[in-house]
Amino acid sequence: MVFSTPIFLFAFLPAVLLVYYLTPLRWRNGVLFLASLLFYFWGERNYTIIMIASTVVDYTHGMLVDRFKRAGKMNAARLAVASSMFFNLGILFFFKYWDLLALTLQSLGLRFVPVLGIHLPIGISFYTFQTMSYTVDVYRGDAEVQRNPITFGTFVTLFPQLIAGPIIKYRELGDQLNRRTYTLDRFAAGVERFVIGLAKKLLLANNFGQLWDLYKASSALSVGGAWLGVLAFSLQIYFDFSGYSDMAIGLGRMLGFEFPENFRYPYIARSITDFWHRWHISLSSWFREYLYIPLGGNRCAKWKWVRNLFLVWAATGFWHGASWNYLLWGLYYFVWLLAEKLFLGKLLDKLPGIVRRLYVIVILLVGWAIFALEDFGQLGSYLAVMFGLSGASLWDSGVTYQLLSFLPMLLVGIFASTPAAAELFGKLPEKGRNLIKPVLLALGLILCTAYLVAGTYNPFLYFRF
Amino acid sequence: MEKLKQTGSAVTAAMFCLFLCAMAGLTFLLPKRTFSQQENRNLALPPKLTVQTISNGRFMKDAESWISDHVVLRDQWVQLKAVSEWISGKRENNGVFFCEKDTLIKRVEEPDAVQAEKNIGAVRGFPAKVDGTVYFGLIPTAASVWADRLPAGAPTLDEEAWIEKLYDQFPGTTVDIAGALNGHRDEDVFYRTDHHWTTRGARYAADAILEAMGLPALREEELETKVVSDDFYGTVYSRSGAWWVHPDKIETMVSPEGTDVTSNFRGKDEEGSLYVSSWLNEKNKYAYFLGGNQPVCVIRTQNDGPKILLVRDSYSDSLAPFLSLRFSEIHLIDLRYYRLAIPAYMKEHDIDSVLVLYGLSSFLEDSNLYLLKR
Repeated sequence: MVFSTPIFLFAFLPAVLLVYYLTPLRWRNGVLFLASLLFYFWGERNYTIIMIASTVVDYTHGMLVDRFKRAGKMNAARLAVASSMFFNLGILFFFKYWDLLALTLQSLGLRFVPVLGIHLPIGISFYTFQTMSYTVDVYRGDAEVQRNPITFGTFVTLFPQLIAGPIIKYRELGDQLNRRTYTLDRFAAGVERFVIGLAKKLLLANNFGQLWDLYKASSALSVGGAWLGVLAFSLQIYFDFSGYSDMAIGLGRMLGFEFPENFRYPYIARSITDFWHRWHISLSSWFREYLYIPLGGNRCAKWKWVRNLFLVWAATGFWHGASWNYLLWGLYYFVWLLAEKLFLGKLLDKLPGIVRRLYVIVILLVGWAIFALEDFGQLGSYLAVMFGLSGASLWDSGVTYQLLSFLPMLLVGIFASTPAAAELFGKLPEKGRNLIKPVLLALGLILCTAYLVAGTYNPFLYFRF
Repeated sequence: MEKLKQTGSAVTAAMFCLFLCAMAGLTFLLPKRTFSQQENRNLALPPKLTVQTISNGRFMKDAESWISDHVVLRDQWVQLKAVSEWISGKRENNGVFFCEKDTLIKRVEEPDAVQAEKNIGAVRGFPAKVDGTVYFGLIPTAASVWADRLPAGAPTLDEEAWIEKLYDQFPGTTVDIAGALNGHRDEDVFYRTDHHWTTRGARYAADAILEAMGLPALREEELETKVVSDDFYGTVYSRSGAWWVHPDKIETMVSPEGTDVTSNFRGKDEEGSLYVSSWLNEKNKYAYFLGGNQPVCVIRTQNDGPKILLVRDSYSDSLAPFLSLRFSEIHLIDLRYYRLAIPAYMKEHDIDSVLVLYGLSSFLEDSNLYLLKR
């Protein structure tokens, strides 16, 4: 199930909230666990078994690690951690990357690996990472072992963050799973965050998506069109992804949880390093903590440090999807980050803010083109047009029309991706804020509903022209 | 201050919960429509809950479409979206341009070149298969004839270039319909809310057709304009959600007297009429002309002109009355429903000439024109 659908908003969510708050405190995890299983089963049916398997495996591995540690058998504990990682990475590899591997080998003429046509279980990249973090944290002593299987199941399947993050480490949630407080303010803050997320997705992201769709497969692309298209995609992916995170954080609060933040206005970054401290924070911090630092981080020989950086960014890129362009995308950032750490960073420090932001934006736009176009041929020709290498015209009348049509929304989008709106709102007197907020939220909710319902509007017009 | 914040929180929380519950409650409890006039389709039926529908996912899909189709105030939500698109600076919604003069015009997409090639191939070979003369006419859409009403720079297909390209490949006589409509582009030759031409537009096209065939032009005294409906909202309107646009008028210019129409809506011949008034009470009022889709429709008149066969789409429904003034028999064949060979039909009914007449947009997309090869 997806948040931005009528069935979620007008059936699942009200029903879950109602049952959840009518249930006594000690059974609420159970309600949440069942609701989350239903949420997942609704779209993925049989694949629910994989998620349950992952839950069971990591529950038992956590117990094993804990028992071995108490008995002082550190090698056995380490083996249990390795076994958990092997299982999680194994299912992730099989369901996500098997077909890519098979197809790539076949294109090289090697036919011994069959293409299985596997459909990717939704959220698998998120929940495998979460459960792995649990076993590691128990081993490291960063988290208490969870003895209640229902509570642990609730952690893994928690529907607000199940399919699109943020990736929550067990230790960030452990205490809240056992005990959480419910206040009206927290619930209202949850509503606020959820509606903001819904609006980002339905009013902004989908809108920019339409604009990007016009250009991503265009056969007569002009230079201006190519840049407009990739600008639209940049706004689409930011509002889509951060919108989902906002909805997750908001739903979490409505249920009494406090999830970590996932985005901090990434597009105002002053360097690429800064950008990655602001974009999908839960993923970069996961890789830093469970890959980069265990590999030695930067406290080692210089060549090892470069190798570590390379591995982390190759993995980060590849995590985003089973296609080689994502790997390329990760390595693209490896190059920029390395350059910033070696010399570019010092240079940037001397430049005025506006130049630094421009530098970041251009790198990001090119990066998003690499991210968005999975086919290398298409990507190559798109980039060639962007940089005027293909002899395409600079501008066309279609771009003028689309630019004018979308200009108000583009401006709103650019404005909304900076902290300016929130700062401006903060300048209102507190009384005014408390009055205006519910009104704005109600308006947002109504507009979102209109876009949600209109998205399913499907006139049958083939009367025959 | 703390108290005010508490109140704000309470209002926010209550607003959200009430809204969700009201939407859910009303959607589930209110009586359901079975048909959407606005969308011209049957709405989803309630999902069937069985072990099988759950395990194959049918239940979930059906439940989702059921909720989407029956969301309370569905049509109003769609209209709210259209108006907010307009406010946000968009000059189109759902592929329909909001145009000047209270007009809605559907964008014509770049056609599938393969299908277009197949279709022109089928028409190109057709004259050699039949005895009579074959005429070919393509009707541009309002996006071409009324290009001056489109928002500046609105991207749409270069229809005249396509028509020229297709005409160049046709060995018989072509009819310059675009020219006829362009010559009267200041008049209401298309509906403002529907993709069809108006009766007036069809009249100018009829002039062009008669001229191409060497028949006498229509005379003013043969025509009498009557308004039969002033409340027509067409398909383009439905698609756009632009509720602020005013309805169209439907007119007739030719009297049905003296014509004898044989329709065939349900697989057997029945008595029809040039105008079927019952359709004026429905959403799809354009079906007033000849009563809507049918495989074969034959109009017999009292004049002694030649016999013509039209291979056609729905544009010809409102053209037929004008042809009834010059032909003794008009046979209208719709290839979506009529699957038999046309040459045999022509021999059987002693047809003098054939007009293949399509809207450009449907011609390019049609997947039944191959039947002309039979």
